Amino acid sequence: MAFDALIKHFDPLMRSIEDWPVASVIRGDSGWPWWFVNIETVHVLSLATVFGSIIMVDLRLLGIVSRNSKVSKLSAEVLPYTWIAFATAAISGTLMFITKAHIYAHNLNFQLKFLFMFLAGCNMLIFHLGLYRRVLQWDNDLPTPTGARVAGALSILLWVGVIFMGRWIGFTT
Amino acid sequence: MDHQLRLLADWISKTALSNWFASQEWVVPTSQSIHIICVAIVFGSVLMISLRLLGVSASGRPVSQVVQTLAPWIYRALIVLLITGTVQTITEPLRQFVTPEFWWKMFMIIIALGLTLWLERKVRNNAAEWDAPDRRPASARLFAVVWLALWIGIIYCGRFIGYVWSFYT
Repeated sequence: MAFDALIKHFDPLMRSIEDWPVASVIRGDSGWPWWFVNIETVHVLSLATVFGSIIMVDLRLLGIVSRNSKVSKLSAEVLPYTWIAFATAAISGTLMFITKAHIYAHNLNFQLKFLFMFLAGCNMLIFHLGLYRRVLQWDNDLPTPTGARVAGALSILLWVGVIFMGRWIGFTT
Repeated sequence: MDHQLRLLADWISKTALSNWFASQEWVVPTSQSIHIICVAIVFGSVLMISLRLLGVSASGRPVSQVVQTLAPWIYRALIVLLITGTVQTITEPLRQFVTPEFWWKMFMIIIALGLTLWLERKVRNNAAEWDAPDRRPASARLFAVVWLALWIGIIYCGRFIGYVWSFYT
C-alpha cells in the first residue's frame, strides 16, 4: 500500500529515535523496568480527563445535560482541564512512542487513532471558528443550533474511536 | 483463602459463558474500552469537583450544583464499570483473583463510593456553606485530597493488574 511505503520512508529516522538514551531508559533496557508502565498510567489518567471533560461539553451541545447552564460558561469552566490533560497525554504518549517508534508507526490501530484525533481537531476548529464565535446569541437556546449538535455528536464519536483504537494498540504491539 | 480463590477461578473458567467470552477475540478489548470510557466519566467528574474544593480552580457554577450534576453520572458509570469488570473477570478469573492489586482496588472502590455518597449528602444539606469558599469547612480540602488520591490509586491498581498478575500464578 502506498501509505505503508510512505511510513517506511521514515523507518531509519524512527529507528534512530528508538536508540536515544531516554527511549532506552523508558523501555527498561538496563535499569528500572517500570518506567513505561508508570508513564502509561499517567497517559490513562490524562486521557480519562480529556474524555471525561470533553463529553460534558459535547453532551451540553447536544442539549442532553446541564441544560440550564450557558454553553459558554460550561465550556469556559471545563475546557482548561481538557487542554492541560491533552498536553499531558501528548507528552506521555510521545515518551511511550519513542520506545518502539517504527512498530507503532506501522500499526493500523495507531494510524487510525491519529486519524480520528486529527478529525476531532478539525471538528473542534470548524466549530470554534464558526458557530462558537456567536455563542452568546444561542447560549441558552434549546435545542442548540444544528451545527452545535453535529459538532457535539461527532466529537463524542471520534473520541470514543480514539479510545478504542488506543486500547487495540496495546493488544497488537 | 488463596486456595479457595484458585478453585473458584478454575470453576468459572470452565463455564460455557467464560469459554464463549474467551473464544471471541473482540470481547475483552471491547469490554476494556467501555471500561476506560466509564473511568473517564468518573475521573473527569472527580477531578473537577476535587480541584474546585481545593480552590485550585474556581469558576462559574456553584460547587453544590457541580456535585449534584456530576454525582449521578459517577454512579451510572460505576454500574457499567462493574458490568464490564465482571465480563473481564468471567473471561480471565485467575488473573484477577490471585493478584493482590485487584483486591486492593475493590477495597478502595468501596471506600471511594462511600465517600462519594457522603459528599453528595453533605453538600446537599449544607449547600450554602460549601458554595462559599470562605465558609467551606476545612475538612472539604482534606476530603478532596483523600477522595482524589483514592480514585488515582484505583486506576493505578487497575493498570498494574495487567502487568503483575503473572507473577502470582
